[in-house]
Amino acid sequence: MPGHDPQLLKGVLSILLLRLLVDRESYGYELVQQLAAAGLPDVLEGTVYPALARLEREGWVATHLVRSSAGPARKYYRLTADGHAHLMEASEAWRSFVAVVDDVLHAPTPVAPEPGA
Amino acid sequence: MSRAPSVIDRARIEWAVWSLDQRLYELPRRARIERRRELRANLLDATPDIGVSAALRRLGDHRRLAEDYLEAELGPGRRPSWWAAVLVVTAFPLFFLSLSTDVAHAFRAGIVASDPQASGSFTTKGIAGLQSDITYTLEAGQGSYVGGAMTPLCWFLMAVVAIVVGRLWLIPRAAWRRRADLV
Repeated sequence: MPGHDPQLLKGVLSILLLRLLVDRESYGYELVQQLAAAGLPDVLEGTVYPALARLEREGWVATHLVRSSAGPARKYYRLTADGHAHLMEASEAWRSFVAVVDDVLHAPTPVAPEPGA
Repeated sequence: MSRAPSVIDRARIEWAVWSLDQRLYELPRRARIERRRELRANLLDATPDIGVSAALRRLGDHRRLAEDYLEAELGPGRRPSWWAAVLVVTAFPLFFLSLSTDVAHAFRAGIVASDPQASGSFTTKGIAGLQSDITYTLEAGQGSYVGGAMTPLCWFLMAVVAIVVGRLWLIPRAAWRRRADLV
């Protein structure tokens, strides 16, 4: 499986995180693990944590601390009503974008040009 | 791999958290504390799974991470930097003191060069406008001086430099933006 373009991933990271938070509230490292399990191991913690801060600033997620037996309290993120609305809107926009790109990519391609042509 | 973080692991995590925190001075205190706690907890969670080295590596460059955090918290665009302004206010008087001392010594050297046994009080304007008069009292070429302090104009210039370097004129805009985010 080819690696994913980091710029492309960055563009859709917000909606991926919001979608994961629809299922259940979660904390930073767990979200990274969920992304890896979904087939996106290239998404690094250093990208996800600031993205979560951005979602919080936009009011799309709310946070609260939960004690952990394994160490310090974890900061859990949960989707807000605004976040849910944004997710619906952004998902629709993404599907529409993918459909357009698919149409272009699936158009019949001419024979590949000769090397050096 | 699954083991509790060792003392060395914890020390490396604390170092990473501290290093990032040093670049987040522009955040409000509460936000900085929250970021520190969250990052520490996440690194401690990741360490048993992938090891502390990989956990730290996956954070990427600290400078970049701090930039991303600042942009996430304060929004995109240029931001005021209290850190830079404080640096100017600290460094400027030190630089001025050094310059002022050089001026005073040069003045004395000039007097003694023309008369090695000079005695009496000698006054110079120093750096005109930026420092008060420097008065040397000499006895047979030896003595001490008073004066050379920063004038109000010099303090004003320092404030202007601090505002320019720290981009403090952006503070009202940043405050307005934060207030708008809270509404």
